[in-house]
Formats: sequence, structure tokens, C-alpha cells
Amino acid sequence: MAVRANNTWVIWLTFALALLLSVSSMPKFMELGRPLWLGLFLTYWVLALPHRVGMTTAWCIGLLADVLNGSLLGQNALILTLITFLVLTLHQRLRMFPMWQQSTVLLVVFGLAQLVQLWLNALTGSRPPTLAFVLPALVSALLWPWVCMLLRGLHRRLGVN
Amino acid sequence: MRLLVFTVLSAALMVVDARFTWLQPLRAQLGLIVEPVYWAGSLPVRVWDGATQELSTRSELTVENEKLKAEQLIMQRRLQKLAALTEQNVRLRELLNSAALVDDEVLATELIGIDPNPFTHRILIDKGEKDGVVLGQPVLDARGLMGQVVEVMPYTSRVLLLTDTTHSIPVQVNRNGLRAIASGTGNPERLELRHVADTADIKEGDLLVSSGMGQRFPAGYPVAIVSEVIHDSGQPFAIVRAVPTASLNRSRYMLLVFTDPRTAEQRATESAQAQEALDREILQQAQPAKNAPAAPAYPPEAAQ
Repeated sequence: MAVRANNTWVIWLTFALALLLSVSSMPKFMELGRPLWLGLFLTYWVLALPHRVGMTTAWCIGLLADVLNGSLLGQNALILTLITFLVLTLHQRLRMFPMWQQSTVLLVVFGLAQLVQLWLNALTGSRPPTLAFVLPALVSALLWPWVCMLLRGLHRRLGVN
Repeated sequence: MRLLVFTVLSAALMVVDARFTWLQPLRAQLGLIVEPVYWAGSLPVRVWDGATQELSTRSELTVENEKLKAEQLIMQRRLQKLAALTEQNVRLRELLNSAALVDDEVLATELIGIDPNPFTHRILIDKGEKDGVVLGQPVLDARGLMGQVVEVMPYTSRVLLLTDTTHSIPVQVNRNGLRAIASGTGNPERLELRHVADTADIKEGDLLVSSGMGQRFPAGYPVAIVSEVIHDSGQPFAIVRAVPTASLNRSRYMLLVFTDPRTAEQRATESAQAQEALDREILQQAQPAKNAPAAPAYPPEAAQ
């Protein structure tokens, strides 16, 4: 048992943390740029362990996020599935890239996700303003190297596979 | 392939959630996880608040205490006046034969979370279905109306604030009774009155109270104070902006209002019956002493 510990609980723990971060209270001026914690954490695990974390996981976590945020059931689920799909598609290339290049690609991926979010919000009637919706994508892309290093440390230390 | 399946599934869920009510029970049950998560999410803030409270010096506390005492004194004075006014109001309403409630029942509640999306103004409160909260119930703070309940979960509920872009409330100018609709703008310090005629009698500083139309909010609670009236000859209507009286982004404790569930007709019938019974009583009292002048009798429970 101890020889082949695969510590899957660590993955779920990090997702729980991401859910928590995505609703935790923040100062007003920072709310506009709240990073997509779920997207970031999901991206890492999809890149690191594509056989464990895939679109099904993303969809289920998205549903939980919908309940927490009080958005339409399926909205965040759709967006997280989309992010996972894009990351899986780019998977082979993305792993070869240096960190800054990964960040740039992720900026585009998260930007697309935010765009879909914007459309869905517009469909349900809440008028979203201006270009501020790309800010979370930008912040997330800038945070990516740190999140990646942190999770990688956790991943290696605890031998999750 | 899997993307397609999940996309279709999500889209179907969204449509069902938006158009039908089948998913409501599921949502309510899933809502059980909401409270602990928000509780944990706001932990840093609360720890910080607790720490500053613990570390505040004695002099600060004394100053605050004195301020609170002064405030209380002012409130007490107002309350004295209010009692007399309420009584007078009840009597006048009796004369008018109307039994509109002067005092509504309330339930105190605490804020436990704020919607993480900065473009919507919604908050989470710590009372839910188990406490008798219902959909559409009005919520107020010490200074005025805040919003209404839009989602009820077992132990928590979500409140849509007046300033959300999707929210509107029927109001009345307190000074002259002019009716209007105040819509949210997405700015927590601003409401806008829609379709107010350019010649309407409304000016800066006017208090807007809820008019009770639309049967959602009880009448007579303060909503906002007009801050700006712009007459632009190029626009078909005047632009009227108002500042909500409730501190929408600062209040921690709120009140849930339970309005009278009876319809206006039921209320009228009941008050008519009560009046009839009262008249009969007076008549019976008057019969033994025919020449005694009929004293103006008020039912003892009227002065609540």
C-alpha cells in the first residue's frame, strides 16, 4: 500500500481550496480581478495528471461552483469543461513551453473562457460592463507560474500520481 | 466528443434552470454546502475584525461607548415621539375603517457572504427555509430597504440588492406622493428613476419611499434620497439619480420583513367585521343610559 500510494485526496483538497478561494471575501477594488482559481488549479492537474483529471472532473467541480455562486446550473461547468478541453488539446505542446510562454497561452485560454462567461451572463440579463472582464484572465495568467510551482512542489513531495 | 456531450448537458441544465422550476429542490439541497464554504471563506476577515477588536485600546472603547450612548439617547427621544404617532396613526386609520398594518413582523439576520461576481449585487444571509424565509421577501437594514430574497436554501438565502442592474422597485416621493420606478445601476451608491416626465415635481433631497405597488415590498419604507435631477431638452425624460438610504455595502445585520399574508379584500372584510362588533358593543352600552353621550371608544388592542 505504502509503495504505490497515489494520494488522490491531495487533488480534491486543492480543488476544495480553489472553491474556497473563489468565494472568499476580498477588498472591493480587487474583486474585479479575482483570479480564476478553479481554472488555474484545474489546468495544473490536467497538465500533470491527464489520466486522473479530465473533463468529467471539471464539469462536476463547475457544478459545485455554480451552486456556490448562485449562477445558472451549468454555467461554470461549461466554462471549466471548455478550459480543460483547450488545455488537453494543447497538452503536448504546453508541457514543452517555458513558463512565460505557458502563461501567454493560458492568457488566451482564460480570455476565451471569460468571453463565454460574458455571453452567458448577457443571455441571462445582467448587463456586464466594459472590458473589465479580461482582467481576471490577465491576473490568472500572471499568477500561473506561482500556482504551478506551488502545486508542483505539493505534487512531488506527496507523490500524487 | 466528450466536450460536445458536456456542452449539451450544460446548455440543457442552464435552460431548465432558467425556465422551469424542476431543479429548485436539487439546488436547495446542494445549497447546504454553501454556508460552511462561505463561513470558511470569510474566516480571514473575521479573524482580522476580532483581532482589531481585541487590540483596540481602552480609550477607543470609551469614546465609542460614549458615542453609542449619545446615539441611543437620540433614538430614545425619537421613539417616544414614535409611540405617540403610532397611536395616533392607528386611531386615524380606524376612523378611515382601514386595517393596514402599521407594524410588520421582522426577523433579524446576519450577512455571511457576498457574491464573488463584482457585477452582480447579491448577498448571502444566515436565515433560510427552516426559519420561514420565502421567495421575494423584503430585506431591510436600520436605514431603509435593501433588497429581496431571490433564492431560498435550507439554512441560508440569497438576497438581490436594490442596486443590481436587474432590480427595480416601485417608489413614491414622500413629499407629494409622485410615483416612479427606481432601477439599479450596478453602482452601490446609485439608483435611477426611469421614465420621469421632465415637468414632474421632483427635486434634489426628496426622500423616496416604497409605494407598495407590485405587492412585493411593504409600503412606506425609505428607499433612497434624490441626489441629482437633470433636465436635458434632448432627452424625452428627466434623468433622476438617487442614493439608497440603506448602507447596501456596509450593513452586517439586516431585518427580514414578514408582511401580512392576507389580501387587501380579506383585510377590509375583517376590519369591517371588527368595526361592526365594536358598534354593537357601543350600542349595548348606550342602551341602559340613553341620555349619556357616547364616549369615543377605542378597542384596547389598537394601541400596540
